[in-house]
Amino acid sequence: MTRSVFPGSLLASDGPRILFVGGKGGVGKTTTASALALELARAGRRCLLVSTDPAHSLGDIFGVELTATPRKLRGGLHALELDPDRQVVRYLDQVRENMQGLVRPAMYHEIERQLELSRQAPGAVEAATMDRISQLMADTVRRPRGEGDWDVLVFDTAPTGHTLRLLSLPEIMAAWTDGLLRTRQRSDAWGRALERLSGGRAAEAPGEGDELSYIDQVEEGGGHQDARSRRIREVLLERRRKFTRARRLLLDPAVTAFIWVLIPEKLPILESEKAIRTLDEHRVPVAGMVVNRVLPRGDLGAFLESRRAQEEEYLARIRKHFSRIPRIQVPLLARDVEGMETLEQVGRILMGGERGSPPPG
Amino acid sequence: MTPSRDEIKRRLEHAMELLREFYEGRHRGALARSRRDEDDLFMLLVLSESMGIPNPASYYTLELLPLVMDRFHEWHLRMGMEHSPLDGFRCC
Repeated sequence: MTRSVFPGSLLASDGPRILFVGGKGGVGKTTTASALALELARAGRRCLLVSTDPAHSLGDIFGVELTATPRKLRGGLHALELDPDRQVVRYLDQVRENMQGLVRPAMYHEIERQLELSRQAPGAVEAATMDRISQLMADTVRRPRGEGDWDVLVFDTAPTGHTLRLLSLPEIMAAWTDGLLRTRQRSDAWGRALERLSGGRAAEAPGEGDELSYIDQVEEGGGHQDARSRRIREVLLERRRKFTRARRLLLDPAVTAFIWVLIPEKLPILESEKAIRTLDEHRVPVAGMVVNRVLPRGDLGAFLESRRAQEEEYLARIRKHFSRIPRIQVPLLARDVEGMETLEQVGRILMGGERGSPPPG
Repeated sequence: MTPSRDEIKRRLEHAMELLREFYEGRHRGALARSRRDEDDLFMLLVLSESMGIPNPASYYTLELLPLVMDRFHEWHLRMGMEHSPLDGFRCC
């Protein structure tokens, strides 16, 4: 088995540390992610399997209860289901904590109300999910293989739209923080010009009395520094750093592999075509495709033979449209994939060890 | 009696100081206003979602709230809003 090409590359000792498994709802993302994670654990990697879908089904496939804290499934394999609501609450607690000393106590109550309203705000759950994902990614790659908590992260993602938005979030957010930072820079530049002009004296705008009373000037390091302005800049820069880091990790093919799952049917193919285009636009590297639930060879009877004839057309379309993406086919199995045993079977098929028919052409 | 050399120097310096005040005074006002305009714009960007302008980053603006909120009252007055425009936020 050559390990430089998909899917063997996933198990290589210098393989990607972060795997995303995505696709339309119901095509077998959770199955694929779980089977891959089992194979990685079998190959000696300490692997954390993470479900990012708000409607989790990861615990169900293993028949265990999962929470936001990693739970051991077997040697080398842990799993968790993200809890964005808990994440939002933690974030708001942190905002509250930062409020101390910055805001007059009389205003605590008002800010508290604002925070409570924001809990339900659109985008909060998504942003919290992305925060947690990028934190996990950063924590994992910070340490070399074998030294940190996890060697490899496998993300079982939510259906297409949600995941694409999630992946584009760092880019959009970085642009947004840049915009805010520019506003701050201009404000600071005016402030500095003002200071130079006044030769270090506190500036006053003539005719409008305390126009500048809202700028807290503090003495620091010989010059006047607007402590608040500096703090705002720090908060923004820290945010920006996190977004940039997430984006850098997502886009690095040496770190991240995106695995796309689909089934040979019309709608999943159409959706995949659009999704792959979007991933390309965002320059997210797609490592390979899993064509799931392909009808097996052999005598299937007239009914299934007719389905297989139709399936052949779809498989041809997949070959044509995704010619540059490495693909693996996984046959439709006689029974549902559930529990370790069948997942291991799927894992072996994925890695080409068992009835893994490499796509013709 | 003609003024001493030092006296002339002192008077000249005083005149220059007055001229500088005159010149800089106008610019100081303009600079202060420019800075305030930027800060007002920043406030609007941070609060946009609460004011009904969709903001994809509203979740992340929350962490800036404590840093801008004590300017809020002056800000909405300057923006020509007599009362707090935020339902959840009453400052006056």
